[in-house]
Formats: sequence, structure tokens, C-alpha cells
Amino acid sequence: MIDTVVFHNFKALRNTSLRLSLFNLVIGPNGSGKTSLIQALQQLRTLSQFPLGNAAMHTRSGGPEISFTFTPPYSSVVARLGCASDLACDFMHVDSLDTAAWFEVKSRLSTMRSYVLDHDAMAQSSARVDSATLATNGGNLAAVLAARRRDAPAAFTRLEAELLRLLPEFTGIVLEEESDGRVRFSLGIAGAGEPVRAQNLSQGVFYLLGLLVLSFDPTPPAVVCIEEIDRGIHPRMLREIRDVLYRLSYPSSFGEKREPVQVIATTHSPYMLDQFRDHPEEVVITQKIGHEARFERLSDRADLPELLREGTLGDMWFSGILGGVPEER
Amino acid sequence: MKVALLSESPADEAVLRVLVDAILGEPAQITEAGFRARGWPNVLQVLPAVIRHLHFNTDVDTLVVTCDSDDSPVHTQAHEAPQYYHPHCRMCQLRAVFRQTSKRFPTAHGRLKLRRVVGVAVPALEAWLLCGRDNDISEDAWINGQQTGRLPFTRAELKFRIYQTERPSLPHEIECALRETERHRRDLRRLEYDFPGFAALMKDLKSPLPL
Repeated sequence: MIDTVVFHNFKALRNTSLRLSLFNLVIGPNGSGKTSLIQALQQLRTLSQFPLGNAAMHTRSGGPEISFTFTPPYSSVVARLGCASDLACDFMHVDSLDTAAWFEVKSRLSTMRSYVLDHDAMAQSSARVDSATLATNGGNLAAVLAARRRDAPAAFTRLEAELLRLLPEFTGIVLEEESDGRVRFSLGIAGAGEPVRAQNLSQGVFYLLGLLVLSFDPTPPAVVCIEEIDRGIHPRMLREIRDVLYRLSYPSSFGEKREPVQVIATTHSPYMLDQFRDHPEEVVITQKIGHEARFERLSDRADLPELLREGTLGDMWFSGILGGVPEER
Repeated sequence: MKVALLSESPADEAVLRVLVDAILGEPAQITEAGFRARGWPNVLQVLPAVIRHLHFNTDVDTLVVTCDSDDSPVHTQAHEAPQYYHPHCRMCQLRAVFRQTSKRFPTAHGRLKLRRVVGVAVPALEAWLLCGRDNDISEDAWINGQQTGRLPFTRAELKFRIYQTERPSLPHEIECALRETERHRRDLRRLEYDFPGFAALMKDLKSPLPL
């Protein structure tokens, strides 16, 4: 879907570009541009839904600019964002002779979703009507699960089966639709009479459930951005988390017949990075020097095979050999 | 026999559980939670601690360790000579860790040290799984490839041949691995012949417990 992103004076991304793959794991120190990348994509989504401006308005001297190109069959489209400040891009221009291609891109961009899951919000009951898509913080998890069970029972059954495989202490998802129009959920537990109410579940269970809801969505977005995919998860479970997300990007590998979803995920876990030893082309390292940050693909390291003889990817990252570590003074 | 396993993944561990039973000809008492390393050289890093833990804190008598060897010299008969040690051969390195870690152990739980069982899959465990199904895949073929500079297959190709995808889910990986292992369970001779790194594991496992 999105092929390249070129940054000019956008926050710490002063002058850098990134070619996106179908699946992208972004690693790097705090404040190095991981979230800025996701914010730029969100700005693209938002502005793409408004009427287009003209090119003359686009350039502000020295103001932040972000350009996007797209993968075939949309490679004729270039979208340029102009920003009044680091926080507010308020203008978009599209270079394309192919109007139909742009409208298709626009339609797909409208489905893009970004997530920073919040276990406190996910534990709350949610209004039954608020169930179209999982909210940015996952706060409508209960309503989305109820809607999925009602509208896509086969997908719900597969989601539930995967949850129970990953967390075998549980026996099922229990959904209660209250008379006040709100939905609550709990998880049945083996050997116990009462299911465990959402408020009493661990953080990791919420994050896993959130990722499963995305992964088993029968009509997923074209692009999904997820921050801190390892949060709350035991290191030995990270392979499973990687697979949950791979299901989005490589559906045919998981027996799914649908369009692949472009995933941009971030992590600070060396153990999660270890899961990408066989696919370094999926790893993006953000390097920050002073106030300026740039992106590098791990697979561009010519000495990567030699490095992997000496240690794991996670160890190499932590050591600083791969870059993407905080500056120390 | 009480056996503990140290492997690189849950799929490798599932395969090992079947192979250990097949080699012994009877079900072994394999500890429930296998020890796990995050690939090479993490196996080498955690092994001394695993050996010490098992020796002093458990009554396990056998530790089975396996790793892949896709970018290191293959263990050959020449490495078996007395006092020989190849610094980059993974079999030599793992055996040396056992030797050095256990050297001054006092008797614990009625035994002086653990039985050392080391297997090295060349270039990856998937090659063992394909043995007998794909005649081009053997340790000899890999060694010839290393010598000529033209490797006959890559780790990624082996994985694709088994799983039919570059990104198998863990359940799919385990299912495919166990399906292939079932062939070997019935007759281990081809695997033993084509993969000396497996034959060494068999020999270790059948050896008497150290006094």
C-alpha cells in the first residue's frame, strides 16, 4: 500500500526517508521518530479524506513536509503533506494523472488504524453501539467482541480458539450485554465456577486479546500501526505475538483468503527483535544523533551474517553495534 | 532415565521429545518444561547454568542439547581425535562446555555428573526432517557445498520445503515437524547415516551414565 515516506523538517525527522515493507518492525531509542512515523501516517489518513488543495499552497519555506508514494497499482500517486507546525499538518496535495488510482488510495487510507492499547480502558464495559472497529486504545474491546460474535461468528470462533490455545488456563470468552446498552466481558477459567471479570485479568491478556481482535478481523484495515507490541507479554510468547501480526500481513501463510495488511509495529524488546532473525528486511532501525533522526533497514547491514555468528539480534541491538540506542552523556 | 532438553524453539523441542523416545526404544521421563536458548550463541551462554542447575537442584540424569549449524564448520571424524578441539565447531564447543562446567562437581543426587547428549543439526533441524524424503539433503551435501563455495540449499529453502511458507505459525511448524519425525521414529537408520550430527546424539544417549 504505502511504498515510501520522505520527511523534511518533521519533528526529529529532519531529512530522511523510509521504504516500507508489508511488515515493518521499527526499533530505536525513545524520541527517535518511531511514533512520529505513525503520526505522519495518521496525518495522511486524516488529510486524504478532505478535498485536495493546490500545489502552490503546499510549500512553506522551511515548514515540515512529508511525501508518500504507493505500491503498484497506485505507483502513479504521490501525496505531499504540508505542515503548519510539527504537530499540525494542515494541507495535502496529490500528484497524479490517474484520478481513479487516487480515489482508490483514498478509500484504502480511510481504513487505516493506529493503536496504543491501554489495559485500563480495555477492562471497562463499552457501549454496544461503539463496535465498528477497535478504538485506538482498545477501549471498546467488549463491544467489538460482541459485534464480532454476532456479525462474524466464524471469525469470532477462530479468535476464541487462538486465545485458548495461547492461554490454556481459560475456557472461553463470556460476553454480557446489559440492559443499559453496555457490554462487559470476562474469561471462563478451567476449574473455577465463576469466569474472571475483565477488571481482574492481567495486562498481557488485554494486549493479546487486542492483537487477536485485529488479526482475526474478517475485513481488516489496509494499514495498521501498533505501538509496543511486546508490552505485557512473556518473552517466550513473543514468537506467537509475531505470528499473530504476521497473520495480518501474510494471510496466505495462515490459510486466510484476503488482502494482506501493511503493518507498522514498534518495540523496545530485544527478545522481540530476535524473532526477526530470518527476516531482517522487515526491521527498521531509527538512529538519533543529536536532534536529528533517520531510518535504516537492518537488511542493509552488509556484515549482518557475521554479526549473527557472534550473538543474537537482540544482543547486537542492545550492545549498540546495530545502532538504535539512546545517546549517553 | 530422567531427561532434560535444551533447544532453540518449541518445535525443536517437540521433535526431540519424539526422537529421544525412539532412540531409547521406550518412553523416557522427560521434564515437562524444556530449557530454551535464543539461537546460537545463546545456547553456549546458557548451557553452563543449565548444567549446574540440573546437577545441584534436580535428579535429572541426562541433558540433551541441540543446535543448528548453518554458518560454522561441521563436526567431522577428525574432531573426534583425543585432545582435539575445533574452536568454531559447535559440537566441539558444546562438549567442551559440558566438560569444563562439570569438571569439579561434587556428587549430588547420587551422581557425579549429568550424561551429556549433544546433537548438531546441519544446517538446521529442518534438514533432519527432510532426510529420506529429499535425497539431495544430507550433511555430506552441505560439507561439499562449504568446500566448493556453492551451498546446495539454504536454511530458508529447507524451511519452505517443510512448511510451504517462509512464515509458518508455530502450530503449523510443530505439526509439520512431528509428521516428518514420525517417519524417523519408525526407523532411525537413514537419519543416523546421513546426519552424523544426529548419530552423535544417538551415541551419547545410549552411553552408560557417568559414574
